[in-house]
Amino acid sequence: MQPEKFYYDNKIVRNFGIATVIWGIIGMTVGLIIAIQLYAPGMNMNNQYTTYGRIRPLHTNAVIFAFVGNAIFMGVYYSLQRLLKARMYSDWLSKIHFWGWQLIIVSAVITLPLGFTTSHEYAELEWPIDIAITLIWVVFGVNMFGTIFKRRERHLYVAIWFYIATFVTIAVLHIVNSMELPISAFKSYYIYAGVQDALVQWWYGHNAVAFFLTTPYLGMMYYFLPKMANRPIYSYKLSILHFWALIFIYIWAGPHHLLYTTLPGWAQSLGIAFSIMLIAPSWGGMINGLLTLRGAWDKVRDDVVLKFMVVGLTAYGMATFEGPMLSLKQVNGFAHFSDWIIAHVHVGALGWNGFLTFAILYWVIPRIYKTELFSKKLSAFHFWIGTLGILFYAIPMYWAGFTQSLMLKEFTPEGMLKYPNFLETTLQILPMHMMRSAGGAMYLLGVIVMAYNLARTMMQGSLVANEAAQAMPLAPANTVVKEHSWHRTLERKPIQLMIAALVVILVGTFVELMPTLTIKSNIPTIASVKSYTPLELQGRDLYIREGCSNCHSQTVRPFRSETERYGEYSKAGEFVYDHPFLWGSKRTGPDLAREGQKYGNAWHYNHLMDPRLMSPGSIMPNYDWLISQKLDTTTTRSKINAMRTLGVPYALGYEDKANADLDKQAKGISDNLATDHIKVKSNKEIIAIIAYLQRLGVDIKANKTNNK
Amino acid sequence: MKRYSIGLIFTLMGVTGTASADNLIPGDLQNYIAYGAIIIMLLLIVIAMLVLLRAFKVITMVILKSQGYTKAEIEAEMHPPKKEKKPKGEVWNKLLSLRPLAEEKELLIAHDYDGIQELDNPIPGWFMYLFYATIIFAGGYLLNYHVFHTGQLQYDEYKTEMAQADIAKKLYLSKAANQVDENTVKLVNDPAVISAGQAIFIQNCKPCHGEHAEGNVGPNLTDDYWLHGGKINDLFKTIKYGVLAKGMPTWEKQLSPKQIADVANYVKSLHGTNPAGAKEPQGTKEAPANDQLVAIK
Repeated sequence: MQPEKFYYDNKIVRNFGIATVIWGIIGMTVGLIIAIQLYAPGMNMNNQYTTYGRIRPLHTNAVIFAFVGNAIFMGVYYSLQRLLKARMYSDWLSKIHFWGWQLIIVSAVITLPLGFTTSHEYAELEWPIDIAITLIWVVFGVNMFGTIFKRRERHLYVAIWFYIATFVTIAVLHIVNSMELPISAFKSYYIYAGVQDALVQWWYGHNAVAFFLTTPYLGMMYYFLPKMANRPIYSYKLSILHFWALIFIYIWAGPHHLLYTTLPGWAQSLGIAFSIMLIAPSWGGMINGLLTLRGAWDKVRDDVVLKFMVVGLTAYGMATFEGPMLSLKQVNGFAHFSDWIIAHVHVGALGWNGFLTFAILYWVIPRIYKTELFSKKLSAFHFWIGTLGILFYAIPMYWAGFTQSLMLKEFTPEGMLKYPNFLETTLQILPMHMMRSAGGAMYLLGVIVMAYNLARTMMQGSLVANEAAQAMPLAPANTVVKEHSWHRTLERKPIQLMIAALVVILVGTFVELMPTLTIKSNIPTIASVKSYTPLELQGRDLYIREGCSNCHSQTVRPFRSETERYGEYSKAGEFVYDHPFLWGSKRTGPDLAREGQKYGNAWHYNHLMDPRLMSPGSIMPNYDWLISQKLDTTTTRSKINAMRTLGVPYALGYEDKANADLDKQAKGISDNLATDHIKVKSNKEIIAIIAYLQRLGVDIKANKTNNK
Repeated sequence: MKRYSIGLIFTLMGVTGTASADNLIPGDLQNYIAYGAIIIMLLLIVIAMLVLLRAFKVITMVILKSQGYTKAEIEAEMHPPKKEKKPKGEVWNKLLSLRPLAEEKELLIAHDYDGIQELDNPIPGWFMYLFYATIIFAGGYLLNYHVFHTGQLQYDEYKTEMAQADIAKKLYLSKAANQVDENTVKLVNDPAVISAGQAIFIQNCKPCHGEHAEGNVGPNLTDDYWLHGGKINDLFKTIKYGVLAKGMPTWEKQLSPKQIADVANYVKSLHGTNPAGAKEPQGTKEAPANDQLVAIK
């Protein structure tokens, strides 16, 4: 047999590489802006399109799906071709994949600041973009499997197992978490409500971390690290064990994002138990990576690429140990909703994803341009400023998290909250937030230096768009000798491998999601909880548009420090009409689940116009456009209809009367405001959002009064 | 020196001993003193041992010298040549159950992917123990909370927390003398009370009632007109429970009874100050005399 000649497609790798750098800089710049907004609320330039609530999702989407996403495709397209000894299946599919993905990101950059959001964290993009993501993901899958089918390598290397698991799991996660009922071009309601919606969202959110930020990066680590260090992978057996254990266990751990909420106790406990079991499988990747460097540690001293890899793997090890610890309910009760979580995710994102991406860029770009890196000094500078940046980011945030949580939980001997005013605890941690933004700026500076360094590298070399290679064609399958282990056999069968991975991740999915979604007794209903009025429903959608849930939670946990501060703890039955749920995951401001009727309408009006009028020192931005903008009531009909379809008990035909009710309620509020000398027309947006805020948690209070 | 230190220990022990007998020093402080004494004791023992060691060395030297050893011989006797050190990293390798790098060739799997080879190293034992330990923990966790019910789930935890807090609070309040309520609150014009009340007012009430209580979102508090009664008892009640329909929050959870009394008195002290930009009267007029009577009582 003659070896076959073929060419690797380096151009697509280069394109994804450039996109990685550009989106990285954009995403991190947005991150820096919102970090500054947390102590200088005016940083939104008094502009509704740049408020924290609207562009925090832009930051997370840009760094996860644009920066890390493009980096994944760069790494996969480079390594997959070489591990399979084949060019990508179709250049056209590669191109559609590349441009389609960039278009999706651009649409996110446009729609998120406009306030088109589903409010599900890391899945904020509205339904048309969700469909586009699905299509492009399928293009990626076809391209990957097409390449696998025409491979010249019999067995699939461990990196490719991780790529396959990533592909199939992200597909399942994305589809299940995008079940929305569209009501207009850029507005939809989730078909799930309340507790169920929360569980689906955090099953998704947690596993987006697992299968977008972790498994593809482990796959890339398995290809690039041995290449960079020129060392064999430490243990093939460990690869097998930690791969299957990781994907099986990870999927169960989602409920640890919902501890002490109204999620059923058994689901919470399962989330905790599986999180603890996740330590060893997560560390398996780190250990296999670090032990691969055995005998090559002298190289780490001189090679900046390996330095990035080592710090990245160490950050991964720390974050995957910290995660399970944060899942323990005793720790979680303290850490959840605080800056500790922000520190935790950034150790993972900046350390693991960021540093691995930089290492791969520094390694790949000179190779496909057949040249040396432009400046080793600049890359060393990048390494040190990046490492320092992570420290300057994480340490103040841990400090801030501890400080604020301690303050929020402190009682005086009289049994009163020591700091009853939430704002006091916010003001206490502002210096830490300033330091954090300095850390973030350092990290960003490093990335900009890298961009310059890589650009100069590209300029001094020339791209080998089609890199020649040769390999022996595969012998027909029937001539292959029997394997000595079942796993070796599986490594020859990509479809079976994919199905096995799918089955493994579906086990946890079914056990946790199915009972909560189908068994009624898991969500006890409360008779006094009624559906929202049309005006409140509109107000709720404004609350979603402005991204209020990025800073305000809506779930009171059963802790003395919370029931004293906010009121009775939340009940599952309160959320049955909430499509989507709005519990939030971070308390930059106080919880709002019991906000209704706490203050007067005038207080809310003034507070939304300029929060500092009512709460001196507040870091909430002004929402004065709510006063000037007219509420769009043409959508009321379709919203009522959609909600009824989803099971909210609006009477048939109510959609015809809804706007009359809306006007009546709005008039009542504007009349009430007039008694406090506030003149505002009843058709303004602020009236709707006040109506919604005044409704929050009121039903359950009514229940109490009735029972008396 | 040693005698002195031993003396010190006995003194310290004596102090703690008498303290517990007389119960003059609170329990916590006693514990701290005891911890301190234990640590100092341990430190002293270490120092004594070092001194002893030094003494033995000196004695050995003196004896050797008296037996006619030369200086070099004594030196050799005191510092025997050290045993050869194990090669670096061996302990580490054992701990991690790693095989020496030299044996690596035997472990190479005869296959490569784009030049990447894999070793057939066994999974490190400690890794498996870690994995088993977490599995056992997870099983134990579920058994604890859901089978044997020995652990409390969140709502039971909450009940326990609230019950404990209630006991602690009652205990404290039974000793403390700030149990004032809307029935027992007295009108006073003690400057200390008024200034304490003013501080609370500025911090909590200013946004709605204005800096000088002239009224803003909330009513003017300096005129003769009151929505919910102008007596000190009424004020106390309004502040404590709030008037939700009118937008007045409840302060029961945020201010202690003493603080509510202070701020109510401060508000009363503002009567007739006629601040600039005062809001128009709301509610019913109440003769100030009414209140004076209460105060005289």
